[in-house]
Amino acid sequence: MRRRDFLQVAVAGGVGATLGVPAFLRRTWAQGGPIKIGMPAALSGAYAQYGIQAKRAAELFSKDIKGKGILGRPVEFIYEDTAGDPATAVRKAQKLVEKDGVKFLTGVALSSEALAVSAKCPEWKVIFMSTINGAGALTAKAWHRYFFRVNTSGPMGARAISLYLAESPMKRFFALGSDYAWGRDSVGSFTTQITAAKKDIVGTDYPPVGTKDFASYIAKIRQSRADGVYLALPGQDATIYLKQAHQFGLNREVKPIMEILELENMKAVGDAMVGAIGSSRYPFTVDTPRNREFVKRFHDLHGVYPDMFDGETYEGLEWLAQVITKAGTDDVDKVIEAWEDSSYDGLEGPFFMRKCDHQAVQLGFAVEAVKDPKYPHPIPKILATYPGEKVTPKCRTEEFS
Amino acid sequence: MANLVEQLLNALALAGLLFLVSAGLSLVFGILRVVNFAHGVFYMLGAYLGFTTVALSGWFWPALVVVPPIVGVLGALVESSTLRFIYRRPPIYQLLLTFGLALILEESIRVLYGPTAKGVEPPVQLQGAADLGGLLYPRYRLFLVVLSLVVGAAVWLFLRRTRAGLIIRAVAQNSEMADCLGADVARVRTLVFGAACALAGLGGVAAAPMTTAYLGMGISVIVDAFVVVVIGGLGSIGGSMAGSLIVGAAQTWGAYYLPETAMVIMYAVMGAILIFRPWGLFGEEE
Amino acid sequence: MTRSRVLGLAALVALVVMPWVLARHQLSLLTDLLIFGLFAMSLDLIMGYTGMVSFGHAAYFGLGAYASALVLLDFAQPVPVALLAGALLAGVVALPVGWFSTRATGIYFAMLTLAFAQLLYTVAYKWRDVTGGSDGIAGVPKTALFWGGPGLASPQAFYFLVAACVVLSLVLSLAVVGSPFGRALQAIRENERRFTSLGRDPRPFKLVVFVLAAVFAGLAGALFAPFRGFASPEVMFWVFSGQGLMMVIIGGIGTLVGPILGAMVFILIQEVLSSYTEHWMIFTGAVFVLIVIFLPGGLVGTARRLGARG
Repeated sequence: MRRRDFLQVAVAGGVGATLGVPAFLRRTWAQGGPIKIGMPAALSGAYAQYGIQAKRAAELFSKDIKGKGILGRPVEFIYEDTAGDPATAVRKAQKLVEKDGVKFLTGVALSSEALAVSAKCPEWKVIFMSTINGAGALTAKAWHRYFFRVNTSGPMGARAISLYLAESPMKRFFALGSDYAWGRDSVGSFTTQITAAKKDIVGTDYPPVGTKDFASYIAKIRQSRADGVYLALPGQDATIYLKQAHQFGLNREVKPIMEILELENMKAVGDAMVGAIGSSRYPFTVDTPRNREFVKRFHDLHGVYPDMFDGETYEGLEWLAQVITKAGTDDVDKVIEAWEDSSYDGLEGPFFMRKCDHQAVQLGFAVEAVKDPKYPHPIPKILATYPGEKVTPKCRTEEFS
Repeated sequence: MANLVEQLLNALALAGLLFLVSAGLSLVFGILRVVNFAHGVFYMLGAYLGFTTVALSGWFWPALVVVPPIVGVLGALVESSTLRFIYRRPPIYQLLLTFGLALILEESIRVLYGPTAKGVEPPVQLQGAADLGGLLYPRYRLFLVVLSLVVGAAVWLFLRRTRAGLIIRAVAQNSEMADCLGADVARVRTLVFGAACALAGLGGVAAAPMTTAYLGMGISVIVDAFVVVVIGGLGSIGGSMAGSLIVGAAQTWGAYYLPETAMVIMYAVMGAILIFRPWGLFGEEE
Repeated sequence: MTRSRVLGLAALVALVVMPWVLARHQLSLLTDLLIFGLFAMSLDLIMGYTGMVSFGHAAYFGLGAYASALVLLDFAQPVPVALLAGALLAGVVALPVGWFSTRATGIYFAMLTLAFAQLLYTVAYKWRDVTGGSDGIAGVPKTALFWGGPGLASPQAFYFLVAACVVLSLVLSLAVVGSPFGRALQAIRENERRFTSLGRDPRPFKLVVFVLAAVFAGLAGALFAPFRGFASPEVMFWVFSGQGLMMVIIGGIGTLVGPILGAMVFILIQEVLSSYTEHWMIFTGAVFVLIVIFLPGGLVGTARRLGARG
């Protein structure tokens, strides 16, 4: 099919032949056909690991509902690679909507992509389900009724770890956030909350995304005599920081506190990561019957343990299926109504989609990277669990009461 | 005082790494007149092959010896199967060709190794920090400084003091004349390209314990290396060394003293230098 | 009529009938392709006609996009005002950059333009109050054609606006390169020393064409912002400048029409391959390598050679 569409554009571009009809016919057929979910995900490039997690979750979900479908209709996932670029993400999303007729978009990896794609969704009249995007603005300034966030947001993660640190003996903190929206927002939330807990921020820095050498920052952190360093660095940057801080012997002096404590980092950094604490949006070690089963199924299919966005994307898909079933249709407006103020029994606990800003209220976790002989890499051990009401910001804001 | 020494060492260690990457880039430009966009991917390949060698042998040192020749041979093969045919065209074509090669290699590495970064431990002798009169500094970073100095000296001596070096310089100055005088220009080009790739591979092995082996490390380093080479003057090994020091210092000291400029300081320095010396510090007018 | 006139007329007719021929998503894609085509064409003005390779052309596309986004979102002006603002801002900024950069030649010129572009990129990235920082500006509306005039929200209307801008820019650029000024540029490209020895200073010529190219790139960016609904720092990044060079080479350097086609092919190759496999970069890379080796003049250059032979 795709090859022919390409030829259509190519041929029509050259001679203007009338070849647009098949696409139009396919569109009408789609109405009663499968329920299509579009995933414009970063599958290549520097952020590929996040898009790949979303895809893995979707693959497991497809397998789990095989034969059943949703409303008796098969579910079809259509993946498009955005390479982590917002312009490409919008183009691919538009293609998914206009050509494939998807009504649900998910799997978008970067906040910048999410903000660009989400802004178009009211025009396209499709639902944007975030399972990865942390930017607080998505449920605040940039919010609209077609947007739903199933995952824990950046400010929520900062909240969870701040609640944990408020009880800890550590007093002085250095904040290191990547120089882009997520890094800066997270450091902002962390600073507000740590200061409110009567503790000190002794230094703040924003290294550029893609920093290869953290030596200068490591020197500053050491000189600040902080007890802990709060890190809001994306995957690879965090890996490099932790490796280098270990070589400088800094991790023993200043405890790393991660905005998100990912398996991805633990695999790459290895034992040097043990002892790091942080928040987790979904720690695969949560001990609930549902989650134990999920982890087993996931490991059977993919041969690895599920990382945060594997879990969160799977939950999003399961919840979406539940809501479509409840609505009795995949009509976008009816699905939005059915989703608002609905509850879902997630892998790690209960979820509630509040109507006012479509942020899913859910448990918050503080975790620590520990060694366990049963696993080939360090794993997140749960230190504390916080109820949804305590870690979710006030409606349509990034602030907590 | 200890702080100043640490700042100095930080700049030197980064400069050492940058020099290992940019020396080959500069050679290829100076001798082949090719802006090799794929150079960074050979560096990345070195890092990944380094990871494999360490994983197979359990040792770090063999990787430093085994990997560069492998990357070098691959580079020579690439040159003789693609670049060889387009030397007569304007430089922009070679840039595009090597960009295509970079895409192919980068993605092939991802297919082979997967998206997760690969951590490489420094050799046992170089783990942990050395005590420099009260200043604890990672041994591995000190090793990087030494390694880059040794490599720089070796390349310079080879080009200046050996017969092969003489032929290479002859080809660089005037390839047609060298051809008339009996030098096998095609072979020289292939060997130089291969040697430059081997240098990149060595840089990759050396970088892996510091940054891990990860996808995108090639693209991220190639821009820095271009800046180094342009600041120093294309084709000059001494220039690459000076350029590495300037960029290494700009990046580490910029991040320390003027953190808000970290994103752009390297380009600002390059721009300033080029405005006053449009052909770089050691370059000659084209 | 010459063959090129006939082809040009056929292309014009094809552009006009497209909205009735193509499905909706194909029309969106074509609009996108035309915008990037305009960007590549503007780059060819400097590259193809003076031999100067700019590695920072994305900056002017980005300036156009930001200016347009702000005019549309914050001041709710008609789209043509935004286009004008985008083109103007790009041109104004290109003036000092060009003045400095044209002091150097060859790879050094490329690196100077890169340095300035990264400087501008950093400004866009850091000036969060105005540009929205790394997130950029989202939700840029397609406003009206003029005050109180018809809206441009429909895909067809916006397509026609883009197509008109591209055709006008192309005609204008062809006129420029065909004028005495354009011939002077080509004389500089062929032999700058001789040009200088005739007692003429090449730098003013280079500067004018540099600014002109930036104006067209700014126009392309100004169209991009309302079409895609956002402007973000990525459109100013050096990677996009590099992609522009690819588009020019694929289409045929120094042909103006070629780069427009080159941009289309460049994006379509990735679009199609990336739908099949997430390892599309391998195949894309291979296509580039083959094009460079076997189609030395790019698509249009090769077609012309074959045409001349047949």
